Parts: sequence; C-alpha cells; structure tokens
Amino acid sequence: MTVKKSDINHICDLSKLRIDENEISTFTKQISDILNMINELEEADTNEIKPMAHPMNMSQRLRKDEVISNNDRDLFQENAIDSEDGFYKVPKVID
Amino acid sequence: MERFTLKKLIHMISQREISSAELVSIYFQRIKKYDHFLNSFITLNQESAEEQSLIADKKIQAGNYDLLTGIPYASKDIFCTKGIKTTCASKMLENFVPPYDSTVINQIKNSGAILVGKTNMDEFAMGSSNETSYFGPVYNPWDLERSPGGSSGGSAAAVASGIIPIALGTDTGGSIRQPAAFTGITGLKPTYGRCSRYGMIAFASSLDQAGLLALTAEDIAIFLEAMSGFDPLDSTSVEEPVPQYSDSLHNSIAGKTIGLPKEFFNNSLDTESQRILNQGIEIYEKLGAKITEISLPNVGYSVPTYYVVASAECSSNLARYDGIRYGYRDDNTKDLDDLYRTNRQIGFGDEVKRRIMTGTYVLSAGYYDAYYLKAQKVRQLISNDFEEAFKEVDLIIGPTTQSPAFNIGEKIDDPVSMYMNDIYTISSNLAGLPALSHPVGFFDKLPIGMQLIAPHFHEYQLLNFCHLFQQETDFHLQQPQAFLDD
Repeated sequence: MTVKKSDINHICDLSKLRIDENEISTFTKQISDILNMINELEEADTNEIKPMAHPMNMSQRLRKDEVISNNDRDLFQENAIDSEDGFYKVPKVID
Repeated sequence: MERFTLKKLIHMISQREISSAELVSIYFQRIKKYDHFLNSFITLNQESAEEQSLIADKKIQAGNYDLLTGIPYASKDIFCTKGIKTTCASKMLENFVPPYDSTVINQIKNSGAILVGKTNMDEFAMGSSNETSYFGPVYNPWDLERSPGGSSGGSAAAVASGIIPIALGTDTGGSIRQPAAFTGITGLKPTYGRCSRYGMIAFASSLDQAGLLALTAEDIAIFLEAMSGFDPLDSTSVEEPVPQYSDSLHNSIAGKTIGLPKEFFNNSLDTESQRILNQGIEIYEKLGAKITEISLPNVGYSVPTYYVVASAECSSNLARYDGIRYGYRDDNTKDLDDLYRTNRQIGFGDEVKRRIMTGTYVLSAGYYDAYYLKAQKVRQLISNDFEEAFKEVDLIIGPTTQSPAFNIGEKIDDPVSMYMNDIYTISSNLAGLPALSHPVGFFDKLPIGMQLIAPHFHEYQLLNFCHLFQQETDFHLQQPQAFLDD
C-alpha cells in the first residue's frame, strides 16, 4: 500500500495542515513506509475478537450532572493572542 | 559532584544537615554549571523555588513537615503548571502559561516537594530520541554525541548527570523506560489509570501515563506514593487504593516466578545486550526467583498496533491546536481556513505532522475498519497474551531496548527505524501494565537497561524486585565521568 501525493493533500485538508510543495514527496514516502509497516496487522487472526477500547476494558465513568459555576473566562483568555470583550477574534467568516 | 538519592536528601533534611534553601541553591548551581552541555531544561522556576524553600525551612524548623518537604524535583514540560510556561517542547505552545496545575503537580506540591524547572522532551512526547524538540535535542551525559532517548530525555539526562535528584516523565510507548535505559537510571511507568492524566497534555489518551525517573527503585517508591490515586477530574483514573510502596521493598522474592518471553530474546536484540541481560537474570536467580520461558505470541504486532492507535488518538487530541484560544498564531492570514493551516504548519514540527497525518489517514472514510478497528482487536490479543502469561508467572523480564544509546542524527530521517526503538516497551502500554527499566550493566561505557513488567497495579512488585537487585549490584550508582567535578 503506497500513498500518493494526492492522498497527502487530502489528509492535509482533513486535518487542517499545510505541507510545503518541496516537502510533499518526503512526507509521501515516509507516510507510505509507516503504512507498509502497519499493514503487517493484516496477518493477525482477529476472528471473534472484540476491539479493545480501554486498557482495562472499563467503561467511561460519568460524574453527577451537577451545576458547577466556574467562570474563569478572563483567566483563560490571557493565553489568547487576539480577544476583545470576552470574545476570541478570528478573520472575517461572513461577508 | 555527588549524585544524591532522594532517600539521602530526606535523611539530610531530617537530620538538619542541610536546609531546603541550601539544597535548592546547590541544584540551581549544578544546572547552571552543567545544563548547557545537556540542554535538559526548557524553563527554570528559580525565584519561586527559592521562595518556597524558605517557607519549607520554617516548617522544618518548627517540626511541622512531611517526608518530601523542601526536596527539589523537576517535571517534564508536558505537565501543566499554573503560572509557569508549559511548552510540550513545541513552537505551538512556546508562550503557553497554564491557568491551572495538573493533578500530579498539585499532589506533589501538597507533599511539600519544590519544582525546580520543566525538562526538555520530544515535541508533544512524539519521538524516541529527544530530537523532535523545538528547543533542540538533549545530550546523553554518558556520551554527549549520543541521544538520551525520548520522549522524557530531559528528565533522564538531568537525573543521570545529578543536576536533579528525581523527575517526572510520561510514557505512551516507552518514553520513560527507554530514556532511563539509555542514561543508566531507573524509570517506572505505572499502570494506566494509577496517576491522574488531568492537566497532562494529551498525546494518546488510552496509552499516556505519568511516571518517574530516579536513581533507585526506593526513590521512586517514596515519590510514587505522593502522586498516585483516584482523581475525579480524570475520567479514566482508577479507584484503587494506593499501597505504601516503600513498605514492600525488602520483601523476599524467593520462590517467585519470572517469565522470559522468547519473542523478546530474538535476533533483533544485539548480542552484547543479550549477554549483559543474562547476567542480570542470574542475579534474580540468586535472589531466589525461578526463571521460566514463556511466549507472548502476538507481541510482535505491538509496533504496528501502536502506530495506528497512538496516531489516531494523536490526530484527534491535536485537533484542538488552532492558535485561536491559545498557542501559536500567525498575524498574516487571509481567512479562517488559512489561519488554521498556517498556525498548524508553523506551530508543529515534522514528526507531529507525520503522526497527525498517519492518524487522520487511518481514521478516514473507507479505512477505519481496516486500520483502527483491526488495531484495537490486535490490541486485545496482545493484552490477552499477557493475561495468560500472568497466570503462570509473577513478573516478566526482558530488554528495554535493542542496543545502547544511538548517536544523535542516526535515525531521525527514517521514522520507521526510529519507531522500532520501542519494540520491547510498547506492549505494556497497549495492555495498560506497569513496567520498569533499571540499569543492568554497561557496554562500551554505555548503560544497558533491563525491563520488568507486572500485572495491573503491581507496581509494588516491580519496585520490590528492582530494589533487591539494586542491593546486590552497583550499576545504578555509577555516574557519567564528565559530571563528577563539583
């Protein structure tokens, strides 16, 4: 299984990444090598085996649905490069 | 300079041979003198550490103190520390100052220990050589041209050189044990769910676990008690009582059974490492343990299984880095899509991009069943192998790595060859098992590590075995020559 440059571009679209044009062939080769290594899994006999989602096969613990009123907005927004009046600012989305 | 064990420091404090302020000052002097050779720290916390040491000294003088009061330690830069930069060794988080402490950092703070600084690591813990750090590689104190391993390379190099007595690390596929092996120290990855993951920056959530790098099993036992236990803030934290690990260190291991998986002692292990491991196994035999060969038939699938599961979880976890609420943000972008892509292109290094891309691919439409679902099934097979084995044996022993530390630059351009570094360590992460690496000998003046794997929540047993080994041997006491001067 080998990925093509077009696959790399598609993955970048899905994951909101960008790779420079001159790096695409290196990434294409490296991701192909990784997938070839992963393809070894095909040999494993997994008939009737259920997928393992948690290392101790535990189910997700849920907390009680209680209202906790923490409002640390100002504190959290100290890490934002661009915010105003409690909002995060991004480039214009709607014309 | 003398490398002090945590045990020794606790004794010195309790006997009033040294004050916390003096201790903290000694370690900052060491860091100042030696860390430019190692590059093991990203951020130092000097002013705050000095203030805390004065408060600790008042408590100690008043006789109102705990075991770890006033003891300096370091944390891998993956644990969120309130008001102290937490970068995960990424440009993405170069200026990130967390508004909260991770649970583990908070627990240690409550125990009285003092955070000296944040250690270097592979970017987002993705790497086995510490070369993917945005802040440059860490150098191995045994040979500065070699890698200390990764991803907890900074913590390992700092402890091995003696510029810090103990350090926090994290282990997703071997990131505590492999660096511990490469730098001749002891490293423990506890059971999945033993230590809280809250505030520990996520890489692969079903595999990540906090742990420790130190000079001895005894030091790890003392510190682990302070950072274990149930945390309601981590939904995968396990409600299981925390034993007094220090109490079981001296237990006899006579009659206990050690399994040697035949799949771990094959051609991929170099012959010198094999010879040294055999000598180590003989020491356990002398201590009364019975040795038997076992088989883990599916363990050979560990590396491919891991690179599906870990990459998939990585691609989901790292989707949050858009540069809007925190993280790297570029000024010159034309629209929202360009903003996301530019921030992530510049903020992430190549290895992180490769993992996100691999993870996105295996989760994408049409491939999910073939890759992710298949890997989760194989993960179950690997876990079953261990469960079967632990019906017959108390502990499993094997190598930690295939060979001693490799040179910096040797493997960085070949991801698959780098990934193979974790061939012996990954399976315990997949099965959620606790595992430890301790020094077992030297080859060409480079340390070799031995790995011990135990059933879930049997950390006490790993520490017990390792402690008895360290009473019989002095490998863990040997220091890198370049760091002997005061």
